Amino acid sequence: MQLRTLIERILQLIPVLLGISIIVFAMITLTPGDPVEIMLGDQISTPEQEAALRRDMGLDLPVHERFFRFLSNALVGDFGNSFFHRRPVSDLILERLPATIELTLVAMLIAIGTAVPLGVVAAVKKGTLIDRIATVASIFGVSLPGFWFGLLLIMLFAVHWHILPVAGRIGYDFEVPKVTYLLLIDTILAGRLDSFLDALGHLILPAVTLGLPMGAILMRVTRTSMLEVLDQDYIAFAAAKGLGRMRILIRHALTNALIPTVTVAALETGSLLGGNMIVETIFGWPGLGRLVVEAIFSRNYPIIQTAVLLYAVTYVLLNFAADIVYTLLNPRVKL
Amino acid sequence: MKVSHYSFIAAGVFLLALPLNGATAAEIRVGYTQDASTLDPANHRSRISEGIIRNMYDGILARDDQMLVWPELAESFEQLDEVTYEVKLREGVLFHDGTEMTAEDVKFTFDRLTKEGAMGGETSPRQSLLGPLEETSIIDAYTLRFKLANAWPVFPRMLPFQEVVSKAFVEKVGTEGLATQVNGNGPFKLVEWRQGDSIIMERFDDYYGGAEGIAPVQAAQVDRVIFKIIPESASRVAALLAGEVDLINELPVHAMARVENNPGTKVLKTLGTRSFFILLNNTQPPFDDVRVRKAANHAVDRQIIIDRILNGLAVPINGILSPQSFGYNPDLPVYSHDPEKARQLLAEAGYPDGVDVVLDAETEFKDLAEAIAASMNSSGFRAKVRLWERNALRAHWDPKKPKEREMYFSSWGSGALDPAGIFMPVLRSDARGNRSGYSNAEVDRLLDGANAEPDQDVRSQMYQDAQVIVNDEAPLIFLWLPQDIYGANSRLQGWMPSGRGIIKLHDAYLE
Repeated sequence: MQLRTLIERILQLIPVLLGISIIVFAMITLTPGDPVEIMLGDQISTPEQEAALRRDMGLDLPVHERFFRFLSNALVGDFGNSFFHRRPVSDLILERLPATIELTLVAMLIAIGTAVPLGVVAAVKKGTLIDRIATVASIFGVSLPGFWFGLLLIMLFAVHWHILPVAGRIGYDFEVPKVTYLLLIDTILAGRLDSFLDALGHLILPAVTLGLPMGAILMRVTRTSMLEVLDQDYIAFAAAKGLGRMRILIRHALTNALIPTVTVAALETGSLLGGNMIVETIFGWPGLGRLVVEAIFSRNYPIIQTAVLLYAVTYVLLNFAADIVYTLLNPRVKL
Repeated sequence: MKVSHYSFIAAGVFLLALPLNGATAAEIRVGYTQDASTLDPANHRSRISEGIIRNMYDGILARDDQMLVWPELAESFEQLDEVTYEVKLREGVLFHDGTEMTAEDVKFTFDRLTKEGAMGGETSPRQSLLGPLEETSIIDAYTLRFKLANAWPVFPRMLPFQEVVSKAFVEKVGTEGLATQVNGNGPFKLVEWRQGDSIIMERFDDYYGGAEGIAPVQAAQVDRVIFKIIPESASRVAALLAGEVDLINELPVHAMARVENNPGTKVLKTLGTRSFFILLNNTQPPFDDVRVRKAANHAVDRQIIIDRILNGLAVPINGILSPQSFGYNPDLPVYSHDPEKARQLLAEAGYPDGVDVVLDAETEFKDLAEAIAASMNSSGFRAKVRLWERNALRAHWDPKKPKEREMYFSSWGSGALDPAGIFMPVLRSDARGNRSGYSNAEVDRLLDGANAEPDQDVRSQMYQDAQVIVNDEAPLIFLWLPQDIYGANSRLQGWMPSGRGIIKLHDAYLE
C-alpha cells in the first residue's frame, strides 16, 4: 500500500468528522431536556444558581457560538468539561476506554475464533447434523436479545453455580500495576496468574454476551461464502491435481472465502460499540458505553459529542483496516 | 526502577499472605446503582454521590435514622438571633492526613460553597442549598458564626447536606484534584476509585467517632467498605443473591420475594422522602375546573394500587408532604375512592358523558400509570397513558412555558423533610417546579411568610393552613409516599435504612 493512499484516507476523515459534529450538535439541540434542570433536580434552588450553572456549562451562549467553540477547542484537543462530573471529558473518556477496548477485543476474538471454524465445518459438512446444529445455533445467536442472554448467564454461572462473578472487572485483593490498562495483559506482565484468572473470570460472561450475535453472523457469512468458493472450478482443479484436502480447504478455499467475513467483521465491530452499552450496564462493566448512555439520559452534551466523534473515527479506521486485510487476502485488490 | 520493582514484589508477597476470602475479612460491599460523579463534596447535586462521599467526610450537622438533626463535627449549634447561628466545633477532629480540623477549614468550606466563582472560577452547584447564607466568620479556633442575609428558618435542616473539607488540602490539590482525591474527616479513607467500577475505602483509625447524639460513637467497625457500581437492578439483585455484595440499594418491588426467601439475605425498608402525585394542568380545560380535579382525586383507587403493585409499601397522602415532614397536617380530608361521586362532579362540571384525558408518564412507571388510568376509566374519565423518556417529558411540562398537556404522573423528593424543599417549589405560583400552573394568592402568602418566619410554631401553622387550601383545591391527584427498599446480607448489622437515602456504614458490620 502506498503512503499516498494512507494520507488520502486520513484526509477523508476531516469531512466525516465535521459532518458528524454538525449532526450531533443539531440532534443535541433539538432533543428536549435541560441539563441545568436535570442537575438541580428536586432540590432547593434559586434563579441565580440556575444562571451560574448555565454559565459554567457554557449554555448561556447561542447555539452557533457553542458549536464553534466546541469545534475550535476540539481541534486543540480540548473537549470541554463534563456537566455533571465537572472534569475534563477527555479524562473521563480515557478512564473508561481501556475497559471497553478490552471487552470488545475479547468479544471479537471469541466471535471470530468460534465462527470461522464452525462456518468452515458447516460448509464442508453441508446438510449433515453438524451443519444443522450450527445453523440453528447461529439463528439463536442472532435473535437472542443480549439483555436477556446476559442475565441468563449471570443467573446460571454466578447465582446458581457460583463459578463466575456478576459484575466488575477484577477483584479487590490485588492491585494491578497499570501498563497497558488492559487487565489481561497487565496481570501477565506483573506475573500474577491468580489476578489474570480473576480478570478473565470477570471478563468471560460479558465478552460472550457481546460476542455472541457477531459470532453468529460471521458463522453464517463464512459458511455461505465457503460454499460458494467450494463450488468454483479452481477447487475442483486443485483436487484433480491431487492436492491434500486440508491444503485445498485452507490455502485455496478459506483465504478467498474470508473476504466477505472480514468486511462483515469490520462492520460488526462497529456495532459491538453499540452492544457495549447494554452489556456494560448489565455486567457493571466500567466502560465507555455506560458513560455514554448515562450522558445521553442526563443530556451531558460534552461527553455525547466527544464520544460520538470517537466512535466515528473508530468506525472509519475499522473499515480502513478491513481494506488492508483484503489486500493481504487477495493480491488482486489494490487500495 | 529497581526499588519500585522490589517493593512491588514485596507488596505482592504481603498481599498473598492476606486472607483472600471475602467472608473472613471485615469488609462490607455495597451494590450501588450509580458511580459518584465526583468525590468533591461541593461540586455536585447528586444524592448518589453524596451517599458515597458521606462515608469519607462528615458535616457540621447530621441526621440520624429517625431523621432528627444532631451536631456532628459541631459540639453545639445554636441560633443567636433571626439571622445568626453559632457553631462550636469539636476539638481534636482529625483529617485523614492527621491534621486537625479548625474553624479555618469550616469557613473555607462554606466560602467555597457560597461565593461566586469560588471553585476555580466556577460556582458550587450546591450554593442555593444554603439559601441566603451570606458570611461565615471565625470567632476563635473552634467557634464560627453563620450570618444569613435574611431569616431562613430551614437553614439547620439544610446543613446536614454539606461536608467539611480541609483548607490546606484543597489549596494543595485544587478543585481539580478534589474531584478524585479525598482527605476527609469521616470514618473511612479513600483507597482507590476505579471509575465506573467501584470505590474502595478503608477504616480511618483516628476517627473521632461521629455525632455525639447518634450512638454508638466509635470508629468504623469494618476494615474496608467497597461501593461496587451495578446499574442494572436484576444484576444488583443477582450480586446480592450470589453473595458478591452485602447490601444493595433500590431493590425492585418485584424482586423482594426472591431476596426474602433466599437463605442468607433479607429485605430492609424505610419510609422514603419522595412524594408521588399526578400533576393536573390547572390552566386548561378540563382540569382548570376544580370539580374535575376533585373528580379525578375521587376516581383513583390509591389503596388498591398500593396493595397490588407497590406490595403495600407506600402510604397514601392527602397533600404533598411526607407524614415525617415539618409542618405536616395530619387532619387533611381524605379523597375516598368514589366512582359515583367522581361521575357526579364531572356531570356538574359539564361532562355528563365523561371526558377524554391523556396521562403522561415516564417509561419506568408504566405499570403504575396504567393502573391509575384503568382506575379513572371506571369513574367517568376516559384516560389513555402516553409513555415518554423522562427529560423529554419534563420539557413538555416546563414550568416557564405555557402548558399544553393534561396529566403527568410525577413526583418530588424532599430530603430536608421541610415544606421549603417541596411545598414551595411545587405549588407556589411560578415556582421552579410548579408544572401544574396552580396559583393561589393565599397559599403564596402563607408559603412566603413561612419561608421567613423565625417562630417554628407559627411557621408550622402557616404550612398546615396552606395544606388545607391545597387539599381543597386539588391542583394535583394526591397519591402516595413509597418506602425505600434495600436488600442485605442477613448478617449485616449496625446499619438501618433511613429517609436520608444514604448508606453510611460507620457502625455497620457482619455478624
